[in-house]
Amino acid sequence: MEAHESKKFVVPIGPQHPALKEPGHFEFSVDGETVTDASLRLGFVHRGIEKATEGRTWVQNLYLLERICGICSDVHGTAYSIGVEKLAGVTVPPRAQAIRTIVAELERIHSHMLWLGVAAHEGGFDTLFMFSWRDRETVMDLLESISGNRVNYSVNLLGGVKFDIDEKQAGEIRRGLDYLEERTRHYMKVVTTDETFLGRTRGVGLMSKQQAELLGAVGPTARASGVERDVRVESPYLSYGEFPVNIMLETAGDLQARFVVRINELFETYRLIREILDHMPSGELTTRMPRRIPEGETISRAEAPRGELFYFIKSNGSDKPERIKVRTPSLCNWGSVISMAVGHKLADMPMLLVGIDPCFSCNDR
Amino acid sequence: MYNIPALVAILVFPSGIFLLAYGLFYEWVDRKLVARYQNRLGPRWFQPLADILKLLAKEEIVPQGVQTMLFVGLPVVGLAGALTSALYVPMFGLEPSFSFNGDLIVTLYLLSMMTLCLGLAGANTVDRFSLIGATRTLTQLFSYEAPFLLALLGPAIVTGSWQIRQINDYAHHHLWMALPQVIGFVVALVGLMGKLEMPPFDAPEAETEIVSGALTEYSGRGLALFRIGKDVELVIGLTLISSFYLGGLANPLEFIVKTLGLLVVIAGLQSLFARLRIDQTVGLWWRIGAIMALVQLLVMVGIRMVL
Repeated sequence: MEAHESKKFVVPIGPQHPALKEPGHFEFSVDGETVTDASLRLGFVHRGIEKATEGRTWVQNLYLLERICGICSDVHGTAYSIGVEKLAGVTVPPRAQAIRTIVAELERIHSHMLWLGVAAHEGGFDTLFMFSWRDRETVMDLLESISGNRVNYSVNLLGGVKFDIDEKQAGEIRRGLDYLEERTRHYMKVVTTDETFLGRTRGVGLMSKQQAELLGAVGPTARASGVERDVRVESPYLSYGEFPVNIMLETAGDLQARFVVRINELFETYRLIREILDHMPSGELTTRMPRRIPEGETISRAEAPRGELFYFIKSNGSDKPERIKVRTPSLCNWGSVISMAVGHKLADMPMLLVGIDPCFSCNDR
Repeated sequence: MYNIPALVAILVFPSGIFLLAYGLFYEWVDRKLVARYQNRLGPRWFQPLADILKLLAKEEIVPQGVQTMLFVGLPVVGLAGALTSALYVPMFGLEPSFSFNGDLIVTLYLLSMMTLCLGLAGANTVDRFSLIGATRTLTQLFSYEAPFLLALLGPAIVTGSWQIRQINDYAHHHLWMALPQVIGFVVALVGLMGKLEMPPFDAPEAETEIVSGALTEYSGRGLALFRIGKDVELVIGLTLISSFYLGGLANPLEFIVKTLGLLVVIAGLQSLFARLRIDQTVGLWWRIGAIMALVQLLVMVGIRMVL
């Protein structure tokens, strides 16, 4: 449009924009339809959670940290619990570990299906959006049957879990997974064969392995570029040691690969949950946990649906933490979006943004 | 020639009140069908009317930096163009109210008024989303218009007339033209979707990129008029295509069955695809649509010259 050399034509997206349901601000300079520059502003939903943890006890913080994110609430609680248990020198019983793993994986299913719908919607493919969200209800119901909640399941306790999974529930989960697996196979077919959809994803947002490593991409975004990065494989926590996960890699590095990686991860997750359910360890659900955590500091890592989630926890020996620092996967992936954006069409921007599965509430805390 | 008094034709039937109501009804059918295809419930039958009434009751905000006359006038002109074109088509399966030699061309141009007004309305504001939306609207206009026109000229050449009434009569007494002219039929149908900016050709109003494109700054009355205009265009487009390609429209029953049948197909197409980027839309139309329509047209002309 107004192609003055000095005056750039900037398209702002956010913090209030139909493309982004969460607040973030992007500025794309465009030349006609082509993006020539991109910039990013974050922090619109900063809630000061890290500071707030310092005024609460270890147990209270579990509830607070689970509310960092609405989609991956469980993984925050898990990463925190692992860290605190490490500091306290407490070993969690194997059955509790297995239940934590199952819930974490169910959460991954729900998060990936949500993402699939959102990404399809950004590409103007509302039918896929509606269908994947309908099927996502299955996994939400499963989580509700385990914990009584659809979103903040709050399964973790320091030193164990709150809820057991009995045989009846296990059967329900298996049935749900069968249905989901069948549907996921269908989505895989849609995503890899639908011509109009491929036209929007294939070759869009290319990121090479070197770039991904350089930009510090994590999670499915990195794995779609062929970077072998998955905390569940690198340093197994919970039950991932006994029940190993196969890392899902794609080498293409475009949006299409990000779809394929996430859908493949869904299949892997179904397999893993079934395996754990078949070999459920028996025993206690909780173990005794001291009220005061010994002085010291530790880190804990977990593979959230979006990538590596990192917790730094420091204790001064009281019943409250001295400092808790959270680094969420979304933050690590922004660099890739900004560097990929240049040279693409404006129409690709929403899909590129969503391609990393950004979570602003995680990101800003 | 004029089988309905002029004033009635303009205000009540086939243009005017009847067409507005019918357009809203088709919008509902379209929305409901797409919703059902997507496994949603969809709106209640009076929802389009309720939307329009709500919009009409609301304040119309004229943003800063626009030419007020244009901003207010464009929706009216667009809707008027669409309504006027109803006078020349066999609305509701009855004879067109007005007819003269060459009215096909006039009707097509009247239908394009709407898109042109939309583009101008977007370009009139200083909003960035509107400007990009307007560019896309006009780009899309240039891409589908030629193939759409060519596709509708096919039946005209077969009939040997540029008069919609005669083409309709001819189509009624011969084999459905959708059979020998499959390409033309498909191009016309998809062209109509492009004209109405339906998915997957909704890049000009892609809500995830540019909010609602050229209409971003519109509210209240202007938005309502543009929306009714689109509904009216939908009805007229369906009427044209079914009268040309689906064996003409001789009575109200045929009209309802054929146009609704086409609407079912269009709704299906809408829910099947991901949105095309504007460059993909242009590529699709010029590389495939226009060339195929042109080839078919040349074949038609060739056959006519031989016979």
